[in-house]
Amino acid sequence: MAAANSGKTYSFKVVLLGEGCVGKTSLVLRYCENKFNDKHITTLQASFLTKKLNITGKRVNLAIWDTAGQERFHALGPIYYRDSNGAILVYDITDEDSFQKVKNWVKELRKMLGNEICLCIVGNKIDLDKDRHVSVEEAESYAESVGAKHYHTSAKLNKGIEELFLDLCKRMMETAQAEERLKGNGASQSASSRRGVQIVDDEPQATPAGGCCSSG
Amino acid sequence: MTLSLQRQMMENLIIAKARQDALQRKMEDRRLRLQEEANRRFAASGAMTPEEREQRILYTNVLEYEQDHDWPKQWKAKMKKNPDVSLVSNLVSYLLSRSDHPVVKLLRKHQYRVYNRLYPIVSKGLPKSPAMPLRPCHSIHNPLHPDTPKRPVRTACSTQSVKSFSTDLISPSRSHNLTPKYEEEEAEDPSEQGTMDRENSFEDLEQFVTQMDWVPPPSSTDDTASDSDLVCDFSVPLERDESHVQELEKRAVKEHLKAVVKDIHIAIDQLLSLCLLSFECLNTASFKDLCLASIEEAFFTPLWSALVALFRKVYVEREQAYETSVKLYSDASPRDIGIPLKLFPQNTGSPQGSYPYGSAIQELKLLIHDRCPQRKLECIVRTLRLICACAEDYRCLHEGDTTPKTAAIGADDLLPILSYVALRCQCPQLVSECAALEEFIHEGYLIGEEGYCLTSMQSALAYVESLHTGVAQLPVGKLI
Repeated sequence: MAAANSGKTYSFKVVLLGEGCVGKTSLVLRYCENKFNDKHITTLQASFLTKKLNITGKRVNLAIWDTAGQERFHALGPIYYRDSNGAILVYDITDEDSFQKVKNWVKELRKMLGNEICLCIVGNKIDLDKDRHVSVEEAESYAESVGAKHYHTSAKLNKGIEELFLDLCKRMMETAQAEERLKGNGASQSASSRRGVQIVDDEPQATPAGGCCSSG
Repeated sequence: MTLSLQRQMMENLIIAKARQDALQRKMEDRRLRLQEEANRRFAASGAMTPEEREQRILYTNVLEYEQDHDWPKQWKAKMKKNPDVSLVSNLVSYLLSRSDHPVVKLLRKHQYRVYNRLYPIVSKGLPKSPAMPLRPCHSIHNPLHPDTPKRPVRTACSTQSVKSFSTDLISPSRSHNLTPKYEEEEAEDPSEQGTMDRENSFEDLEQFVTQMDWVPPPSSTDDTASDSDLVCDFSVPLERDESHVQELEKRAVKEHLKAVVKDIHIAIDQLLSLCLLSFECLNTASFKDLCLASIEEAFFTPLWSALVALFRKVYVEREQAYETSVKLYSDASPRDIGIPLKLFPQNTGSPQGSYPYGSAIQELKLLIHDRCPQRKLECIVRTLRLICACAEDYRCLHEGDTTPKTAAIGADDLLPILSYVALRCQCPQLVSECAALEEFIHEGYLIGEEGYCLTSMQSALAYVESLHTGVAQLPVGKLI
């Protein structure tokens, strides 16, 4: 358990929330398709995606969980976002209502998961800026007021998406490292696995496909 | 002459006795030596808890076993030469096939213990079909669910019988255990007879459980044990009291389930650690996973039916809700459940009994036949993959020959389709099965694809359960 060695892999769960037509599916597809050319699209298509990253020498495994945006599935949210390290809340800049929905989600997430979860509020479809109904100032000041970061993206033009995910990963890593420090240097390592941040020592052997990190 | 013969016989006897003593002493010495070795191994861990002591004893048994058997050494050497995934699974399955190995003995002990805790509750909860018409006052309960906990005396009865039953079962095996060296070994049943007994009772249990499996019309009439319960039923004069007792009973069953779940987790942890102690070469992250998977499969396979029967008792209300929805929406089209038009075929001329997403429905129906959590989870993953594949096909059909777009389906589409599949599956037991999976799939898996699929399945089931409570929740409100 030597601190700051590079032989660690972070596993993060990121949940994707937002109303039906805000484009969250195309957003995440864009992200995972772009660099890896379909390879990283699992057989579950856009509902569940994984991505492996290397950030400042640390390996990060990202699992992106899409959720259903329809109102009638709203009550089922909590079982999707439990144990999440990050949440991406997407709204459509041309749709005021979808922004209101994001506000509701933020309230719920903060209530259920506290401040440990990294929140990203994402205004999508900036290619339609002429029809904008949510002002940049309003959105950004709201995000700041709830401790979230705000991003502007266009899935269509592939704008802002890479930055969004990279930024989120860095923040999640910081949170995880802070948590590690808080836990003391490996004193209580068994309890740490519960919240989904799993730090696994390097494995010389190749792990079987689909295998995931396990910790005691 | 006879005298000399007699003397010789006496001498022989004495020699035999001395020999036996020496042998016993030798065995005792060996045991102590191994015990010391085990102690040394655990020496780092300061003061001993009862668990540590137990583990130490178990480890002593492992060392003892390894002195008497060569195969562990041979396997260890093989593993050293070529540590490889397939070798690991071979080793673990070989280990689990050696019924005299301490790991397997421990496995049997734990299974036996869990089974003893399940049996009284599960066998009590048999369908009491003949009694049903005699209880018209329970109108709130769905008569289709005979295993609704409603016999007021059962709480007291069952806890009592848990006790008596388990002692009954354990005592015969104890008597076969000729020289119990340790307290902890008491419940073990190394004798052939003990094994036979257990197998019989498992068989027994299978029978009970098949009766409990969901059958739409309650028609089985092979239970007479309910008579006494019935009498008790009438002896309770007040409805209010009865519902109070029911409430208490429900809580008791819930608590019981919790305790059993906890026991199982402890048992599996203990089995895994003994396994890793026996074969240190397995103690790497990926090999450990494999090892755990094998242990779980061996552990759950004979117990699952009884286990899920207990879950069904606890989740009976959710199963009823599901059932009501299934009945109300038996004619619902994919559109009614909110699946977009482009994701299912419209031609109504399809043959009778064939539905869109039929392959996914068929796959999901197989879930209840698997006997171990990991396999069930794989079944759910396959179901979701089939849904995605079907959706892709249907969309291509719609778009004709135009180049199939890569726009993959997301959760907005997946969840309605999965809800439709869960509804069409018409199997209330799914509710309890998934609840059990939540308990027994370990956290490592829950962040990945398997976890996503299980979560989606749970959501879809919850949605189906909620369907009958408000038609307004449906996108198209023309139903029933």
